[in-house]
Amino acid sequence: MTNPVPHIATARSVASAPAQAAGDSAVEIRNVSKWFGDVTALDNVSFEIRRGEFFSLLGPSGCGKTTLLRMIGGFETPNEGQILIDGVDTLGAPPYARSTNMIFQHLALFPHMNVLDNVAFGLKMKRLDDEVIKQKVHQALELVRLDGYGERKIDQLSGGQKQRVAMARALINDPSVLLLDEPLGALDLQLRLQMQDELRRLHKSLGNTFIFVTHDQGEAMAMSDRIAVMDQGHILQIGTPEDIYEAPRTRFVADFVGHTNVFDGHVSRIDDNGECLVACSGLTFRCIAPAGLTLEQPVSVALRFEDVTLGGDPGSADGTGCSATVTEKMYLGGMFRLETRTDEGVALTSDVTNSDAARLFAEGDTVNLTWQPANVSVLLE
Amino acid sequence: MVSITAGQENIAKRSARKPARSHRPYSGYRTALWIYAGAFYTFLYGPLLMIVLLSFNNSEIVGFPFQGFTTRWYDVVFASPALLKALGNSVGVGILAAAIATTLALSLAMGFRHQFRGKSIVLYLILVPIIIPGIIGGIVLLIFFGFSGVRSSLWTTVLVAHVNWVLPFAFLTLFPRLHGFDRALEEAAMDLGARPWEIFTRIVFPIIRPGVIATALFSFSLSFDEFIRTIFVSGFDRTIPVQFWGLIVDELAPELPAMAVLIIVISIFSSLVGFYFMWRASRSAATYARKAS
Repeated sequence: MTNPVPHIATARSVASAPAQAAGDSAVEIRNVSKWFGDVTALDNVSFEIRRGEFFSLLGPSGCGKTTLLRMIGGFETPNEGQILIDGVDTLGAPPYARSTNMIFQHLALFPHMNVLDNVAFGLKMKRLDDEVIKQKVHQALELVRLDGYGERKIDQLSGGQKQRVAMARALINDPSVLLLDEPLGALDLQLRLQMQDELRRLHKSLGNTFIFVTHDQGEAMAMSDRIAVMDQGHILQIGTPEDIYEAPRTRFVADFVGHTNVFDGHVSRIDDNGECLVACSGLTFRCIAPAGLTLEQPVSVALRFEDVTLGGDPGSADGTGCSATVTEKMYLGGMFRLETRTDEGVALTSDVTNSDAARLFAEGDTVNLTWQPANVSVLLE
Repeated sequence: MVSITAGQENIAKRSARKPARSHRPYSGYRTALWIYAGAFYTFLYGPLLMIVLLSFNNSEIVGFPFQGFTTRWYDVVFASPALLKALGNSVGVGILAAAIATTLALSLAMGFRHQFRGKSIVLYLILVPIIIPGIIGGIVLLIFFGFSGVRSSLWTTVLVAHVNWVLPFAFLTLFPRLHGFDRALEEAAMDLGARPWEIFTRIVFPIIRPGVIATALFSFSLSFDEFIRTIFVSGFDRTIPVQFWGLIVDELAPELPAMAVLIIVISIFSSLVGFYFMWRASRSAATYARKAS
């Protein structure tokens, strides 16, 4: 911080030779903490983002994801710890000396310039030859399917076109890491899905590392190679969308990612076949026991709405089903959401496919609900 | 929701039957309001209109009755070397004072975007000259220049006095433009490789330019009209208001109304153009805000 000059120099050399000495991590976060006054935004966070990865930081607002992204981009400085980009410490390097580019939440397109000048801005700052700039801008606009829009003013563009300009303006610089700060948040659903496709296509064809900040778990699932789920300045779990969704490690992750029933209980039996029983206020769940589980240990279990099946025999094995009364039935199109109260008095919600069988049930009816032990996650914290 | 819509329909039906009934607030006082507004504008613009009429009055005495239409007083004004000299002085000092004050206000406003200790106190200190009575301001400047040994003249004391007078207003017009400026634009420029100076010249300044032009024009108007402070420090040089004052005191010259109209026209013109740029500045800010949301 106090003497940024040598750091700037190192960061610049990063931009020219990104592949050297860096192994396969594009960004390395080492014990990073950041606080604003009394508020801790990030608390001793460490992880790596691999080269060429589409990596999402997922969490509710205020979890520290944007702060982390801004620190990678050089807009904030960590109070403690290091951030390495392409293997080189970035401490003190300002944004203009980093090999990162950002797509901002509200895009931050320059309102007084047309599309061409917006996209060309980064190359002009690098003092490239006018002919080269012209050619590259043309390519970039082609890449985001905006050829022919160069002379348009920014306020003459639709929401989706602005998104594309923002992408072209960042990607034309061929950043070693592209930072995306919830850029799709303001779009309506249809357009958002389109832009998700567009971003994935760009990521596949370009191969740059993308770091995507979002609070939308569906968006993170659909786009990412790996996801880091964050809450209150901590990283709770990092993994592929499948890992995060199917094997949430904490109650927060289970709740935040998808619709989940979570119950507190304790381990009542551990079987030799690696399964265990968790008793939760009368209702028992059979699950795959994680390593190191002990009898009577207090744990929580998570069971996703869609992993509860309507029908089947709850008595076939201990902890694989129950009998319950339907308290509310919601029509969701392709499926029904059944809110039920089990005979033990526990509230259990299930999403069941819109089948003939499901249609027959009404509120007040008694139903059998079953589930697979593999679908019940044991949450240790 | 449903009941409200139904209620609105009912009201619509009723008013369709009896179109004359209106229930807007104060509608019974409409005539009174018109009279009040008429009196208000007569009071505001009556004297102004009178001076315009007088400037075309073919009479050696400033006053009514109207003796016939003439433009000869304007010829007198434009043929008087003293008046033209004063006009030139006022325009020159006005332009220079506006340029200096606007530049200072711009850098001040840039600085005030940062957080620092005692910011609000320093902010209020900039605005104090506005509330100091003009005559006090003039005396204070006179004493100050006397002590510092600066001889009164147009390009020294008058210019400094005008910058001193105009600066708080320039700051007040410019500060909101920069205060409301979207920092993400500057961050985006920095992210794309722009150094601080390039961010200012390529992003910040072009976007706030209408506001800067407006500020300069308002500053010019203020300087052009300044009288009280100027008369204390002007020495042998005269600006238009000082010259004007001299004419009133020495003799009630018949060309006075014509001169007054000339001053009014220049002031109004520069202010109107200033308001135009102000409107443009706020419009572009509005477009940008809409786009961002």
